Amino acid sequence: MNITTRFRASGLSVASVLIALFAAGPGAAQDLRVATSYKLMTLDPHFATLNENSSLLSHVFERLVYQDEKLALQPGLATSWKRVSDTRWEFKLRDNVRFHDGSPFTADDVVYTIERVRDFLKPPSGGFQAYTKAIAAVKAVDPTTVVIDTVDSQPTLPLALSAIFIMPRGSAGFATTEALNTGSSLVGTGPYKFKAWRSGETLDLARNDDYWGGRPTWSNVSFRIVESPAARVAALAAGDVDIADFVPARDVETLKQRGAKVESVPAARLNFFQFELGKEVAPGVTDKADKPIPNPFRDARVRKALALAVDRNVIVDKILSGYGTAASQFFPNGLAGTSPNLTPQPARYEDAKALLAEAGYPNGFKVVLNGPAGRYPGDGETLQAVAQSWARIGVNARPVGVPFSVFNTKRGAGEYGIWYGGCSGESVDVCLEAVLKSPDSATGAGALNFGQYRNPAYDERLDKARTVDAGPDRDKALADLTDFVMSDEPIIPLYHFHHISGHGPRVTSYLMHPRGWTTAMQAKPAAN
Amino acid sequence: MMALFKVIAGRLYQAFLLLAVMSLVGFVGIHSVGNPVYNVVNIETATPEDIRRATELLGLDLPLWRQYFVFLQNLATGSFGISYIYHQPAFALVMSKLPATFELAAVAMIVATVTGTGLGLLAGTRPGSRLDRVVVAATVYALSVPSFWLSMMLILLCAVTTGWFPSGGRGSTAEFLGWDWSFLTIDGLRHLVLPALALAIPNIALIARLARAGTVEVQRADFVRFCRAKGISDRRILFRHTLPNISLPIITIVGLQFGGMLAFAVVVESIFAWPGVGKLLIDSIQLLDRPVVVATLTLVALTFVVLNAIVDLLYAVLDPRVRISA
Repeated sequence: MNITTRFRASGLSVASVLIALFAAGPGAAQDLRVATSYKLMTLDPHFATLNENSSLLSHVFERLVYQDEKLALQPGLATSWKRVSDTRWEFKLRDNVRFHDGSPFTADDVVYTIERVRDFLKPPSGGFQAYTKAIAAVKAVDPTTVVIDTVDSQPTLPLALSAIFIMPRGSAGFATTEALNTGSSLVGTGPYKFKAWRSGETLDLARNDDYWGGRPTWSNVSFRIVESPAARVAALAAGDVDIADFVPARDVETLKQRGAKVESVPAARLNFFQFELGKEVAPGVTDKADKPIPNPFRDARVRKALALAVDRNVIVDKILSGYGTAASQFFPNGLAGTSPNLTPQPARYEDAKALLAEAGYPNGFKVVLNGPAGRYPGDGETLQAVAQSWARIGVNARPVGVPFSVFNTKRGAGEYGIWYGGCSGESVDVCLEAVLKSPDSATGAGALNFGQYRNPAYDERLDKARTVDAGPDRDKALADLTDFVMSDEPIIPLYHFHHISGHGPRVTSYLMHPRGWTTAMQAKPAAN
Repeated sequence: MMALFKVIAGRLYQAFLLLAVMSLVGFVGIHSVGNPVYNVVNIETATPEDIRRATELLGLDLPLWRQYFVFLQNLATGSFGISYIYHQPAFALVMSKLPATFELAAVAMIVATVTGTGLGLLAGTRPGSRLDRVVVAATVYALSVPSFWLSMMLILLCAVTTGWFPSGGRGSTAEFLGWDWSFLTIDGLRHLVLPALALAIPNIALIARLARAGTVEVQRADFVRFCRAKGISDRRILFRHTLPNISLPIITIVGLQFGGMLAFAVVVESIFAWPGVGKLLIDSIQLLDRPVVVATLTLVALTFVVLNAIVDLLYAVLDPRVRISA
């Protein structure tokens, strides 16, 4: 063989390989491919209360009660529930539901699940114990009835249970996290069956044809975990996936030009500035000559002045490219428990200046404005923008953004005077309790009240509001309470950022959820 | 025989020292960055009590020197600890990411070595020619382009605009020797092309420049002129006489770059969502997942020691003078 023919032969084989490479096309029509930022760190559905795990596992496992996109409770595995007495709830379960292995779903599985969460799991896997610690006893009265006794009055037990995935009772005691992580016995009642999982890489699911809620739409669902936002956007733009979640606002235009559709929803959460109020001297706060001054934030007028000098429209329009909602309270206006009286106010610099002067700071002061950088959409840039706004009322703020874990360590150690925080939850009272109630390590109240805001009248009213049964009365009580406490300016509400997802032509519509979940159930396929 | 033993003992001592230093750096570094417990619990819902219990369970309440001591004790039993984030043994986690990285680095390095050496030889034998000038200019560009930009351009041109190749991920894999490999399936190969190119292009340039410089030098040497006088064909001079003489620096650079790719192909792996060791390392550093960081760094240190040993061995194979002096 001379050189020419040898070259030709190898050229041919290269060509055939290339043809083979290009020929492999996308999957069948009813396959859904998703690029998600959710890592899915474990297959144990009770390990930690992180969207990272629960969002993807909600395909396999289901809850007794489901929280819809208005945050209202809908029947899940329970068809109805009622409060029998002050400390007793009764749940009626769905009949004729089977787990993926064929075994029937009964009240006993609910008992097993609650006991596994409450008694069996130990930290750091005890994330869900917050939802079960009020449960004194759980009994299966008959196969479709569960009775739960609580240690005290628990008007929102169904909401608490909307966090917990039901697992089948096995024959050999409680399932360990290690056993579940092997994936060999991962069965739930959900619309999709578990096929394969590679930690931090992929999750593959297949349709559960026997699903009680009718035949699920997609025959196969494959999640690819793509942490880099740019890579998720590229994957969607290239048509490698049908859905990409957590799209950065700046990439929305690019995606639209490429023919992808973009959906968004204001998140059920708030990002805000929080003050150090417990200390006589707030760290990082000095007068203009760098001399320490008494903690100015303890004066509500100073807090109000700083709040008045925040231009939320700039943050929402310029930093979040419109994918944010200016905030005046914990959840976006209109969701249950929010106050209609509170609306985001435009910046009023003159009023702010006057208030500062009234409080004894006509020349302003210096602060270090702390926050995480890269944890929430717009976090670092917001620090910059607000520092500029505050300069107009004489407050010299130095923005300092650090990685989230560093931020948490320093905030926990009390090294900050004022900082950018966040709160989210299944209902607005979660944030009202965590951020604003006086800290109490025994009850776990005030878990995010790092600045030691204390308002006994508010604490009392919150406790009272939380005993009201779920419904309009409770929502009204929470809204009034929000009016009451926000007039004291305990925090500066900034914005509710939007969850943004993009989808390609094989999905006709994608229903966004304010809790930020990414599931195949939210996607409707295009008609073929 | 004694000399060989001494060399091996020296290497092992080196490896041990590296391991000790690496683990200390990982430990102190991560400790000074922040507290990993905030990435383990959901900070927006956890109570102080939850945080305290998680801290105790992870052993993070102990002083740092005691934590290091516990780590050394575990290490003596062959365990690097359990990942804080993934709740799996750290070393097994790193090893599970190794095939992805290994195949990517190997493909990239083979492409780079063959193409780079070829281009360097071609250019070096014709110094000053148009081909030579093109190669020299192109390598300057290829070396100055940052890898994130190169990766983005490859995705834009070869995936988003034309749709020739997938934009990221590993594609389907097939099992071989108990591990999953992408290069065994057509789909996996398609996924491999772009990230491998992104890793290979700067290395092609590096190797081409080295090979060109070496070739230019060797071409002027007496023994080449002697070969020519003897009437040996150009091809034979090039492959039989020039190539071995320029291969020592190339082998050194290939060894070093290969080690670097195994550990630190972070940018390319992140942009192409290639689930390899580099991506695991950078994710773990961000999440302060100390067991994984320390396990990865240790593996990297060992890899470099092994690769250096292989390079030294290859020296002896290729250069008779090394054999004689040893």
